[in-house]
Amino acid sequence: MGKVKIGLLQFFSITLLFELGTSLVVNLGMASGRDAWLSILIGCMAGLLMFWGYAYLYRKHPEMPFTAYARKLLGPVIGTPVALMYIILYMNLSGRGLRDGSTMLAMATMHNTPLFILSMLMILSSSYVLHKGTEVLTRTSLVFTMIVLMIGLFSMVLLMLSGSINLLQLLPVLGDGLWPVIDSVVRQNYMFPFGEMVVFTMLMPYLSDMRKGPWVIAAAMLASALLLSATIALNISVLGADIAERSPLPLMPTISKISISDFIQRVDIFVVMVLIIGVFFKMSVFFTAALIGISELFNLPYRRMLYPCSLIILFTSMLDARSFTEHLDEGARLLYTVYPVFMIVIPVILIIITAVRSYFSAPRPG
Amino acid sequence: MNSRRQTLRSKSKEQGLPGSETGTPGLTGSLDEDIRNIRIALGGSPDLKVRKIQAGKEYPLQAAAVHISGLADATAVNEFVIGSLLSDPSGQQPDDTGSPEPFPAWLIQRVLELGSAEVTVEWNDLLLAVLSGDTAVLADGYLSAVICDTRGGEARSVEESSSQMVVRGPKDGFVESVATNISLIRRRIKSPKLRLEYTKIGTETQTHVAMLYMKEIAGEDLVDEARRRLNKISIDEVLESGFIEELIQDKTFTPFPTIYNSERPDVAAGNLLEGRVVIIVDGTPFVLILPAVFTQFFQSAEDYSQRFDIAILMRIVRYVSFIVLLLGPSVYIALTTYHYEMIPTTLLINLLSQRETVPFPAFVEALLMEGAFEILREAGVRMPRVIGQTVSVVGALILGSAVVEAGIITPIMVIVIALTGIASFAIPAYNMAIAGRIIRFAFLLLGAMFGFYGITLGLILLVAHMNSLRSFGIPYLSPFVPLSVKGQKDTILRLPLWLMGRGKTAAQLREEQPEYKRVTTGHEAGLAPLIRDNAAAGRSEEKVEFHEEE
Repeated sequence: MGKVKIGLLQFFSITLLFELGTSLVVNLGMASGRDAWLSILIGCMAGLLMFWGYAYLYRKHPEMPFTAYARKLLGPVIGTPVALMYIILYMNLSGRGLRDGSTMLAMATMHNTPLFILSMLMILSSSYVLHKGTEVLTRTSLVFTMIVLMIGLFSMVLLMLSGSINLLQLLPVLGDGLWPVIDSVVRQNYMFPFGEMVVFTMLMPYLSDMRKGPWVIAAAMLASALLLSATIALNISVLGADIAERSPLPLMPTISKISISDFIQRVDIFVVMVLIIGVFFKMSVFFTAALIGISELFNLPYRRMLYPCSLIILFTSMLDARSFTEHLDEGARLLYTVYPVFMIVIPVILIIITAVRSYFSAPRPG
Repeated sequence: MNSRRQTLRSKSKEQGLPGSETGTPGLTGSLDEDIRNIRIALGGSPDLKVRKIQAGKEYPLQAAAVHISGLADATAVNEFVIGSLLSDPSGQQPDDTGSPEPFPAWLIQRVLELGSAEVTVEWNDLLLAVLSGDTAVLADGYLSAVICDTRGGEARSVEESSSQMVVRGPKDGFVESVATNISLIRRRIKSPKLRLEYTKIGTETQTHVAMLYMKEIAGEDLVDEARRRLNKISIDEVLESGFIEELIQDKTFTPFPTIYNSERPDVAAGNLLEGRVVIIVDGTPFVLILPAVFTQFFQSAEDYSQRFDIAILMRIVRYVSFIVLLLGPSVYIALTTYHYEMIPTTLLINLLSQRETVPFPAFVEALLMEGAFEILREAGVRMPRVIGQTVSVVGALILGSAVVEAGIITPIMVIVIALTGIASFAIPAYNMAIAGRIIRFAFLLLGAMFGFYGITLGLILLVAHMNSLRSFGIPYLSPFVPLSVKGQKDTILRLPLWLMGRGKTAAQLREEQPEYKRVTTGHEAGLAPLIRDNAAAGRSEEKVEFHEEE
């Protein structure tokens, strides 16, 4: 492990793209109405707390991915099934991301192309990039972070120029009290997208700088939270809480409000591009985490399981639900029931074991 | 270098030179037999000229000068080899024992009026020298021959390079002779740090390959790696630097060039000073420059002759044209096929009314036009100049108006394709433009099948592919990925020279900063001598002296 070292800037950009991923486009935290932007920020705080735990585990085991130290700490009998479950989780998350992406794409522009074809193209591209290695994925993310940020800036300026932003729509802040915000955070926002940072426990061994690394990733989480929050606030201030809440992809109608002298209009294709880029990187990060886990657990070369895995992910994405509604419903329930086990319970157990072990082993040499 | 030469020699001995398969043991000592052996080895070729001479007055000796006409410089052979042998300026001196001094030593030390001559006893060296244009002088009773450097013959003179034009800048270009090319570079860099290494590659062609680099500026690893890769080459023939390029580049399957080539000595010199390695191959005016990153292919020698703001503008135009080349037709197809809501309504109506008469889908239209354009371009490149006009006239007629009038292609498609075609010419490096032309077809397909979804994924794949490329260990997209702020000085931007400190590390730059100021802001009265005094560091002092000596 850890032969390839990935620079901090690359880690920053891959974290940013991973977090923005699909969440930039979907109606995130809309359970809390016009205060959704607030629930994102609070969710991020919870996410940062969780990430602090992951970073602790990384600092204690800087050369190992999650699956390796899980086996080391829990012993092979319990550790191996746990590691295996994480690999399955990552593949499932990758498949779900793929389904999210291709369905949203089909809703947004590609109305007549079969879902399977869209997903296949995406997973093939992802396989190609991962075939070139994790380092290539992170480097590529650097370029596309720039592109996404440029698109964001561009759309922001255009929206301002076309005079569609009405900040009054955001008022009153906390009009319904704090409870809807807390509810939304608990149900969704601490997990999605910030709890998914658990996947970085697989990637962090590649960090080139052990001390600064976790800080950079945390900074990227914070930056992405601010961007997400700003985007949602933008959606609400342009569309109003009511429409934003109902729309499955609120960023699309927001951007389509842009109209400058009848020439620049309907630039929502940029949103689609952001969606594609985000989904691609989100899915690829889960995919590469699963591959790292497999290669570490079964001691296989990284590339050998690439194509079998891509097939599994493709079919997971196709078969996990009969319709998008079912898929979303399933996702909401998983978010509430299954994911906390992987993202909080098991890491917390590992943290406790590590802390106890280092507490008892530390004084011995001294 | 010396040991390398020896290994090369021993290698050529084992493999044998052309004509030496007969197993000729070497020089026999008998003049007639040696000459016969040479004739046999070269297959009795009629251009092999053997001139027998009686050399020496006091101790006359049968000798022969052997050369190949056309390869050797006739004047040098006649006047300085044969002429000086016959005129016999000073006789052979007897040594202590009373016997005359050895013939080869006498020849080299007293007779030959040539800059370079050496003794050899190796049969293969002798043959190779004669085949390279040298004159071999053999003497009866001696087991060694004197090789006189008389290489010459007809060669193209230095002219303006035809592939990389500039409006302002030096007009000389490399030629086919490796010696002339090295001199063109040396004339620009009069520094003792400029190092030159020779090797011969090609078991049949025995082509001279020269590697140049600046010691202390070029990385040691890079030079070693380049040398190692050159030594690893095992090939029969090297006819162009492309052969070497293909054999030493990083092994990846890619349309992108990872080694830069240039016909311009100023470009080569500039790259040497930036710490790159230049490889010159005999017989071609195109030298190889490595390592090469993506941004290098968008630079032109002229960027440094023009004002920096203008240079930046020109570079931006080049990058934009590369993007147009890659994405022009595919974006047009994606827009008209999938995302027509993005086109302003009036334009869309106009477009659709045009498309009404055209029987093909936009993709087929684009493919037809692109195909026609590629055919025209290929025809135009290979055409004899006299009929080149015809191609352009016919091409312009076909592409310009006939297809539209015939109702095969919409006028807008003609505009798009023409723009793409022109854009491909705006890229300074021909091989990069070709890469763009190939990839354009992939994007065309993706755009036609999946609209912007395909194009976006294609872009991700393209960037990932370029990120996976390396040229001699340097990431292809550097200094963008991995991002280096210092490296941005000469990429899309071209900062003014005094801000740039070309290609030096930060430490070197700090050390030499006074010199840069001296060079670039010398017009600020009083500043220049002051800094020269301050920069009393040994190196800059030496440099000044060196210039004065020149």
